[in-house]
Amino acid sequence: MSRLVEVEDLQIELITARGVVRAVDGISLHVDPGETVTLIGESGSGKSTTAMGLLRLLPPDLAVLSGKAVLAGHDVIADPAAITGLRGRVAGLIPQDPMTALSPVHTVGSRLSELVRLRHKGTSRRQARLAAKELLEQVRVPDPERVLTRYPHQLSGGLQQRVLIACALAGEPELLVADEPTSALDVTVQAGVLDLLMELQERTGVAILMITHDLGVARLVSDRVHVMREGRFVESGDVEQVVDAPTHPYPKQLLAAVPRLAPKEVPA
Amino acid sequence: MTTYIVKRLGQSALVILLTISTVFVLIRMAPGDPATAFAAPNATTEDLAQIRTQLGLDGSILSQYVTFLGQLFTGDLGTSYSFRAPAFEVVLDRVPYTITLALAAVMLTAVIALPLGIWMARRADTGRETGANIVTIAAQSMPEFWSGIMLLTVFSVLLPVLPSSGFTTWSGLVLPAITVALLQVALISRLVRREMVSNLTSPYLTVARAHGIGERRLVWGYALSNSAIPVLTALGTRFAAMLNGVVVVEVVFNWPGVGSLVVRALETRDYPLIQATVLVTAALAILVQLLIDLLYPLLDPRVRLGKATAR
Repeated sequence: MSRLVEVEDLQIELITARGVVRAVDGISLHVDPGETVTLIGESGSGKSTTAMGLLRLLPPDLAVLSGKAVLAGHDVIADPAAITGLRGRVAGLIPQDPMTALSPVHTVGSRLSELVRLRHKGTSRRQARLAAKELLEQVRVPDPERVLTRYPHQLSGGLQQRVLIACALAGEPELLVADEPTSALDVTVQAGVLDLLMELQERTGVAILMITHDLGVARLVSDRVHVMREGRFVESGDVEQVVDAPTHPYPKQLLAAVPRLAPKEVPA
Repeated sequence: MTTYIVKRLGQSALVILLTISTVFVLIRMAPGDPATAFAAPNATTEDLAQIRTQLGLDGSILSQYVTFLGQLFTGDLGTSYSFRAPAFEVVLDRVPYTITLALAAVMLTAVIALPLGIWMARRADTGRETGANIVTIAAQSMPEFWSGIMLLTVFSVLLPVLPSSGFTTWSGLVLPAITVALLQVALISRLVRREMVSNLTSPYLTVARAHGIGERRLVWGYALSNSAIPVLTALGTRFAAMLNGVVVVEVVFNWPGVGSLVVRALETRDYPLIQATVLVTAALAILVQLLIDLLYPLLDPRVRLGKATAR
């Protein structure tokens, strides 16, 4: 089986007000069809930059990419133009903050229908509307007919994130890049969104590149994990191995930072 | 919605009353006397007093004001001294010309400034954007009597392709509209540029790009429709301001609009005509503003009229 994503020695330099910063410093990873690979690390570790770089969504005048990043057989670093045919169709994005990720002046229905018609040229408006409704049903949106007529600001954060997952699914991608998809949501809503992602993966066999800072999320969804710090992978491997028996001190610190519910032993 | 419109119309009536009252008092306190404008050069004090009585200007400002208000509520704005016709009708005759010029100028501004602003946004902070800025600001900085006369010199005198004055054919509209638009393009294009830059770098646009939406659609379908409110407000406000008469341009091109009428009314201290002009143009400007406000909810679903909005 050919690899869906193959990244080799990826470097990303960002031009900032404080000079050039090497946000990603020579990482290599791969994602096979149907599996979930997680990049975990603290803020500023370069994990989101990696995801955005892979989809070529970093501003071209502010980010310099080098190395190799092959998406479904196309090296998007050697040939940046190739990404336009891959966005949506091969790789869909689930963004970090659903509240700012939908155009405020477009209804959910118009966004979804547009994406359906983009994927299947020649689809009639009626058919696209039906497909949009099915997409909302797929992501377990209650009362999809009503939600189609809504504007983003009329929906809760959890519903907005489900709509965004539906948007990503509209392109029928082989890979979902989930950039901290739950970090802006309430804890109770988070669980629902993660459940949905896993259910969709089981049903459609879509691969997931998960970006998170949350060990709990990583443990729940991943097949393989890369622990990222200061632009590098400090530890990589199967989720059980990295989470349960880390060798590098950094993942050990991360694990030690997870709050435990067991009462502390109080010295007598 | 209906409550909102009724409330706004009530406010508008109040604004118009305040405006017209201020103008009523100010023109009477300003130096100059309508009587001298109509009297013979060697008129005696008695002659002048007689003319003032004829014009109804012999009482105190307060008593004149009470009479004026009484007439106003019966729809009578007095008789123009110089046209010897109802002032309201004299103004109404001119209004279509001013609206025509203002509409043409605003549309021309939009047609130039929208693509230019988008072009500038996509080349933000480059040398070419600076170049475009310099050109539009230069155009804005030229006084309109000068740019108007330059356009006249080139297109009516050197290359006689367009009429130089008046409005007898539609081609007479071209030069005045260009002259007015030149003043607006810099402002509107930079507003479009600013709004577009903020929308082009916003998260929703990046996400739409990630979903595979093409660049052209991202610019024209997403960023532009999200920039509509501030741009439309600015264009509408400029349009409303032009309804007061684009005075200098109307005079330069001998355009038969409200602007050139107001100049004549002021020169002859034609109080009823000045008052009628103020009343009509203020009402038009307020109406345009109201129409723009009523458009907001259609352009941005987050706007609810009559309520504070969270944007």
